[in-house]
Order: sequence, then structure tokens, then C-alpha cells
Amino acid sequence: MAAKDSPLKQFEIDPISNIELGDYNLSFTNSSFAMLITVLVITLFLTLTVNTKSIIPSRMQLISELMYNFIAQLLSDTVGDNGKKYFPFVFSLFMFVLIGNMVGMIPYQFTFTSHIIVTFALASIVFIGVTILGFVNHGIKFFTFFYIPGVPFYMHPLLIPIEVISYLSRPISLSVRLFANMLAGHTLLKVFAGFVVSMPFFTGVFPLAFIVALTGLEILIAFLQAYVFAILTCLYINDAYHLH
Amino acid sequence: MPQLNPEFFVSQLFWLAVFFSFLLIFLWRISLPRIATVLEKRHNKINENLSNAKELQEQAKEIEKNINLQINNAKQKTDEQIKKTISSLQDEVSSKLNTIDRELEEKISNSEKQIIKNRDSQMKNINDEIANITKITVAKISDLKLSDNDINQAIKILKGKLN
Repeated sequence: MAAKDSPLKQFEIDPISNIELGDYNLSFTNSSFAMLITVLVITLFLTLTVNTKSIIPSRMQLISELMYNFIAQLLSDTVGDNGKKYFPFVFSLFMFVLIGNMVGMIPYQFTFTSHIIVTFALASIVFIGVTILGFVNHGIKFFTFFYIPGVPFYMHPLLIPIEVISYLSRPISLSVRLFANMLAGHTLLKVFAGFVVSMPFFTGVFPLAFIVALTGLEILIAFLQAYVFAILTCLYINDAYHLH
Repeated sequence: MPQLNPEFFVSQLFWLAVFFSFLLIFLWRISLPRIATVLEKRHNKINENLSNAKELQEQAKEIEKNINLQINNAKQKTDEQIKKTISSLQDEVSSKLNTIDRELEEKISNSEKQIIKNRDSQMKNINDEIANITKITVAKISDLKLSDNDINQAIKILKGKLN
């Protein structure tokens, strides 16, 4: 298969305008453009729909309120009253990932959440923030997080390293989960799109039908991954408050 | 795999930082407070309406109570009125009956007196007629001429014998 037909070609980054700052390449790329679109969609939607501030909401305002309540409920269910402070962050994270995934579902549009560096950066913000939060709340006692009470003492040499590793792998699992889902979904769509073109006569209809079904599934996954990202962030915040 | 090409890592991170911080600050400072105020406003409005409804319900209950009270009062009053009227009517009827009875008794006794008087006078007339008839009869069958006195005495003697 030639390189230009590769299903991974859709993930290639093309600079739109070259910007260099010292030794760093800060080019505005198609990935940055997708982020820009995402941010514009979110800010404009959430601003314009709630513009009238009417008590009886319009349909669009209702959608904004639904999203607000969805994340507020999620946060209060997992973290409780302590979580209110982090609502803007979790909400921004959820919307950024969700709309980023959705923008990626537009044909020929770049999906920035399919890039490990982006998801890893987002997951690192969560991981570092939660770790700092844990130290602020519990000080040195935060290390008892790795100590599981009620286990025979001879198990601790085994369990504590496992706990430490699982804690440190949080940003990796969080970022790879999102990245791999997006990568796999879009690659699969592309592969089947290749079948549609290359299959003889009208048999291309079958992979096309599959693509239609798969697109629905991908939209579901786009939502689901944003939800998972948000709920895991909430759980990590909760862990920073209640060690066990 | 283009994802592992570090050529654009810095650029991606830079723009991610720019856009995500913009989004976070914008939502935190502008969008979310707006939605929060709307939600709060609605919550307050609903609570206000609910409390108003409760108040109105209580008022309605009070009014209903008053109405029931008034209806009961009116019922009692009418009952009393009816009882009063009935007893007064009964009094009137009985007093009227009494007067009628008395009048009737009077009339009856008067009539009885009249009857007795009439009988007496009739009896006297009969006596006279008997004397007369006796006189005439005796004169016809004999030559005796009896005076009224004789006849009356004879009748008295006979009456005495009969009695």
C-alpha cells in the first residue's frame, strides 16, 4: 500500500502557518485549527444559547443546561461538596474532549484527541493537579494512599510497589485510552472507506453500510470517552480528598 | 505512525495550552456563571411559586372552614325558627279549640234549657187539651156539666194513682 493511501495518513500534521520561536517550532497546524474550532464551538454555543437567560429555556439553552447539570451531577456524585471548586476545570475538560472528538467525526476534519501528545498533556494536567491536591490536603500522610489497610503485613512489600505503579500509570492509562479509541475508530473508518472504493461493481455498498453503522458507534464512543475522561478525573480528585 | 513523530510535539503542546487555558478561563469566568444564575433563578422562582401555592391553599382551607361554619349556623337558626313557629302554631290551635269547645258547651246547655222549657209548656197545653176533651166528651155522652176545676182535680187524682 502506498504511503498516501495509508489509513494513518489522516493523522498527519500539516502546518497552516509556520511560526518559530527561538529553537521551537510553534507552527499553527491543522491540529491547532481543530482545537480552535472546538474552542469556538464550545464558547459560542454556551454563550449564545444562554444569552437571554430566560427562566423558561429555549431548546438550545436547555442543551447547555443539560451539559452543566450532567457534569455538576457527576462531580457531586463522585467527589461531593469538595468538588464544586473543580467544576470549571472538569467541565472544560469534558467539553474540550467531547467537542474535539465530535469535530473529528466531520469528514476530512482533523481529530486532535487522536494524538497521544495531546491526550497525555491533558492527562498529565489531571495527574499533576491531583497529586498536588493530595499533598496539600494530607501533607506527608498522602503516602498512606499506597498502604492498603487490612492486608497481612507480609503482603505489603508486594502491594505497595503495585499501588505506586498503578498510581504512576494513571496518566498513561487515561491518555492512551482516549488516544487508542480515537486512533482505532478513525483508522477503521478509513480502512472500510478504502474498501468502498476498491471493491468491484456495487459490492462497495456493503462496506459503505458498515461505515454508516460505524459512524454511529464512533459518535457514541466520542461521547463515552469524554465521559470516561471526566469521570476518572472526578474519581482522582475524590482520591485526593479521601485517601481510602 | 504520525502520532509518534516529535516534530510537532512542541507546537501541539503550545496550542493546546493556549486554547485549553482560554477555554477554561472563558467558561470559568463567563459561561458557567451565566448558566448558574439562570439555574438559580429558576430554582428560586419554582420555590417561590410553590410557597405561594401553599399559602393560597391554606387560605382556601380557611375560607372553606368559614363557609362550613356559616352554613352550620344558618342551619341551626332555621331549625330554631321552625321549632318556634311550630310551637306557636300549636298554641294558637289549642287556644282556638278551647274557645270553640266552650262556646259549643254554652250553646248545648242553652239548647237543653230551651228544650226543657218547651217540654214543660207543651205538657201544660196537653193537660189543658185533655181537660177540654174530657169536658166535651162528658157533655156529649151525659148531661153532667163539669167545671174545669172538677176535671183538673180528677186528673190530679188519676195522675196520683198512676204515679
